[in-house]
Amino acid sequence: MNQLSRYIRGPLILVALLVIARYLFPSKMTFFWEVSTFGIYIIANDILYGYMGMVSFGQPFYLGVGAYAAALYLAHIGHNIFIAISLAILAGLVTGLILGPAYIRLRGDYYALINAATCAMGLFMVEKVLYPITNGDDGLWYRASMHQTPFLNLKMPSDVFWFTMIVLGLVMIFYTWLDRSTLGAAFRGMKASESKMKFLGYDTFKLRWLGYTMMCVLAALAGSLYAINYGFVNPSISEPARAAEVLVATLLGGPGSVYGPFFGTLAFLGIKDIVSAIMDRWELAVGILTIIVCFYFEGGVWGTIQTIGSKIRGRTANQTGAVSIKTAKGGKS
Amino acid sequence: MFDLYLSAVIFGLGISGILFLVSIGISIGFGLMRIINMEQMVYYTFGAYMTFALVASTGSFILGLLAGTLVAATAGFLVETQLLRRVYGKELMFTMVVTFSVFMIGIGLVQYIFGLASKPVGMPFRVIVPIMGAQVPLYRLMVFVISMSMYVLIWTFLNKTIVGKAIRAGIENPDQVQGLGINIRKIFTITFVVASGLAGFGGALNSPLVGVAPYMGFDMLLFAFITVILGGLGSIKGTLVSALIMGQVMSVGGTIYGPLAFVGPFMVMFVVILFRPTGLYGVKGRAFGFEE
Repeated sequence: MNQLSRYIRGPLILVALLVIARYLFPSKMTFFWEVSTFGIYIIANDILYGYMGMVSFGQPFYLGVGAYAAALYLAHIGHNIFIAISLAILAGLVTGLILGPAYIRLRGDYYALINAATCAMGLFMVEKVLYPITNGDDGLWYRASMHQTPFLNLKMPSDVFWFTMIVLGLVMIFYTWLDRSTLGAAFRGMKASESKMKFLGYDTFKLRWLGYTMMCVLAALAGSLYAINYGFVNPSISEPARAAEVLVATLLGGPGSVYGPFFGTLAFLGIKDIVSAIMDRWELAVGILTIIVCFYFEGGVWGTIQTIGSKIRGRTANQTGAVSIKTAKGGKS
Repeated sequence: MFDLYLSAVIFGLGISGILFLVSIGISIGFGLMRIINMEQMVYYTFGAYMTFALVASTGSFILGLLAGTLVAATAGFLVETQLLRRVYGKELMFTMVVTFSVFMIGIGLVQYIFGLASKPVGMPFRVIVPIMGAQVPLYRLMVFVISMSMYVLIWTFLNKTIVGKAIRAGIENPDQVQGLGINIRKIFTITFVVASGLAGFGGALNSPLVGVAPYMGFDMLLFAFITVILGGLGSIKGTLVSALIMGQVMSVGGTIYGPLAFVGPFMVMFVVILFRPTGLYGVKGRAFGFEE
């Protein structure tokens, strides 16, 4: 029981805070919903970037896989929203299993770029090749064909919010478990030195494959949530130009930590919200901010909170967390 | 039919010229400094926008070309001396994210100064030359000829001058070069300024063909990376050959089936990365980002 509560406490507090925030600022419900969904998407990227140390410039592709899997089902085949979400997860799983062996052999920059190429080709497929079923740039509209669901009516944005809270809670519990499990430690070990992990007897290929597939599934899940909340999908969801957002948000929060992705998303979307009220576009502010974070706050938002917290509490409480981040950042040997 | 493909081939040569000019910075940046130069396309965008501004205000394209190259080289100098020096020797991922933020800042600046809309740039001359039945704009031929002479200049610079020889030695092994008493930092700065100037020059040359838009560097960045990877990182000759191939893929491919102009290069990159990640003229060793 004690074991279990370790994994559940943090995510529950997080979800509770989000729900409280949603009722404190009722007009900002869409914002908090987007923070939760984008948060799942960033968690997916953080498994890749923060734990395994692989940068990808094609994350929107994996989001698009989920979104289009759900949208195609709802627009052409059926009406059940839960089946749509399951199909999106399945599509993510299949993508991960098929593309994984080819991609994860590549390291570093090549991996990042082949993802960019995948993203561009995915966009091309959706816009041109699969035009008869995806409707190209016009997108798919299917809100009318979605059937109501029992308990939570997923046709209503306010109920989608609650559903997203449940999903986010589950994903966070999984992610907390991952952070503290041997698997998470193995991922960090691979980031520090792959040859040493091989020497210790780990099959690094399988580990990478597993991590990559996890990323695909979580990103597809986030994509399906987008598809269901908006009731339509168009190719702009998987534009290569949006790949930067993902990296920036991951970095902002503090890669390789449990609450980093969530705080990164909150900071990134918050800044975007504020900046776009002042300026036309947000690129300038986000670019400057990322450089500052890169050079002066290596742990990101969450890392900074942790450092301040441990200073206040006399560096007893968060020692384990600090040590694990240090070893992960140990660099190549 | 024949003249259609002939003009496609010649259009492709023009594209190759631009691709070659903008890709050198990425190729050398990787070979010499071991960083991934995501922000190289900022100079391309700056060069194009300077040309746009000067053509709009003075009407002189040559002036725009010069100003674009100068502004791009200055921006490259500032970025190298103020920011990238702190990045050398760090992880590739880190350099990628930092230079990508510089790219974002550049896009933001351009948006702030010139607005979000894309704008056309006037052609310097509209002469059309008939070659074996195909109607070819002279400007595209000029672009190709200019970039080829740039290749000859770069080749001479790298092979016949002492600075160029130091740069080539630096690509092979930076530590040894430093051991010989050559200031590698200065070499880095010179190379970077030249490369960013060339990218700006490429942007200025390309602006009458494609117009200017804040995000113009983004697609070009991907194409430039494809060119560099196909050619092999750090090899100037490889960059030239792959630029020639990519230009034909985009132009002739686009003539056969429209969307191939955009997606064809990605298909090439896909195949190259999966089956021959060293590229055509790749140098083995540290330059590849693989853990040995």
